[in-house]
Amino acid sequence: MTELLDPTTGAATQTIAFVPRPQALAGKRIALIENTKYNSDKLLERIGELLKSEYGAADARLWRKKNASVPAHQEIIEEVRKTCDVMVAGIGD
Amino acid sequence: MPATLQSKRHRVEDTADLIEFCFQQGWSDGLPVVPPTEDRVRAMLAAAKLAPDQQVGYIDHRAVSITAEKVAINAVMAGCKPEYMPVVIAAVEAIADPKWGYHGPGTSTGGAAVLMIVNGPIARELDINSGDNLFGPGWRSNLTIGRAVRLVMRNVCGSLPGLLDRGTVGNPGKLSYVIAENETESPWTPLHVERGFRPEQSAVTIVAANGPHQFYNQLSNTAEGVLTTLADDMRISGGVMGQPTYVVVLAGEHMKTIANDGWDKKRIRQFLFDHTKNTHAHLKRTGRMSGAIKPGDETATRPLVETPEDILVVAAGGRAGAFSAYIPGWGSRRSSEAVTKEIKR
Repeated sequence: MTELLDPTTGAATQTIAFVPRPQALAGKRIALIENTKYNSDKLLERIGELLKSEYGAADARLWRKKNASVPAHQEIIEEVRKTCDVMVAGIGD
Repeated sequence: MPATLQSKRHRVEDTADLIEFCFQQGWSDGLPVVPPTEDRVRAMLAAAKLAPDQQVGYIDHRAVSITAEKVAINAVMAGCKPEYMPVVIAAVEAIADPKWGYHGPGTSTGGAAVLMIVNGPIARELDINSGDNLFGPGWRSNLTIGRAVRLVMRNVCGSLPGLLDRGTVGNPGKLSYVIAENETESPWTPLHVERGFRPEQSAVTIVAANGPHQFYNQLSNTAEGVLTTLADDMRISGGVMGQPTYVVVLAGEHMKTIANDGWDKKRIRQFLFDHTKNTHAHLKRTGRMSGAIKPGDETATRPLVETPEDILVVAAGGRAGAFSAYIPGWGSRRSSEAVTKEIKR
């Protein structure tokens, strides 16, 4: 019998309180998180328009990350938390 | 009494193939690993003088704490000798440094490897290759130190190819990508000294990097001649538009030719910065810069890097042959900076 030590680690356990997914988008405020890649703004703005026209979302506002390779910075997260109900993040290339 | 190791233990029958067992667990990068038994792991920890629960780094956005124990287990699997551990530890500290920005190079479709450049006395003590066949096989330290860091990224940080490591084409340096600077023969200030360390300190500099590009100039016997070829090769390379860090590796013959003209690293950097700019018109014509060509685009230029200091110059490679290499960094320097850490012993 040989014992081997496991080389893997999981992420630190923490409870994340997710906001429940909305049943419908009517009246919801949409946050669009744009990653700066070419045309990603156009793609997300179009999605925002569709969510308003076809699903009755109240508003769609675009935020821009500092660059494509970093997570959304804290100011974005704080503002979105206060002013939006739903977030759409996406990339363009 | 040595501290208890916290890792889950897998009991494997003596008749079983331990290497095959490790493959089956998904712990390997595709090559056989050394089975991580407790005595081997403890030897690694002892060589680094670290307690098993010592945190070596923390990857913030993945909420992953990298402990010395996990680094030691992965270093065993990579085939490291215990005396390599201080280098592995320093490199893991570096990948967890926010300036390196793990999220980008650890994940990106851009397929970054972790280029590690070792400086100082430890490079000679561990026989880390700085000469012939620099990026090739043949040196245990070069191949296993880099591999250990990649196994930590895989097994601890979750950078699994196709899952959280989404490199589109990747590069062979993602197996291991370690070189030393040839300080013994170099006429120039060592990289770690340029970056704030003393010559007698040992340090590792990591760069999120694409593969090495070799260039050839057998005709020139001047610094300007050799570097003109290099600049012409570099001008369109890597992401071009991203302005990443670049590493230039000057091998024996080129190193001597350039040094004989009295050029230091600063002058090399400035020359390369000045001679690797692209016109906006060229970048637009070749599908790299967006938009239609406007008046002035034939003369307006974009530098390959933001500043000359973004080109790291390293003396390394074999004595014979009119070859040297350059390495485009991943992404942009704003997304990932080169990071240098002291190798503590």
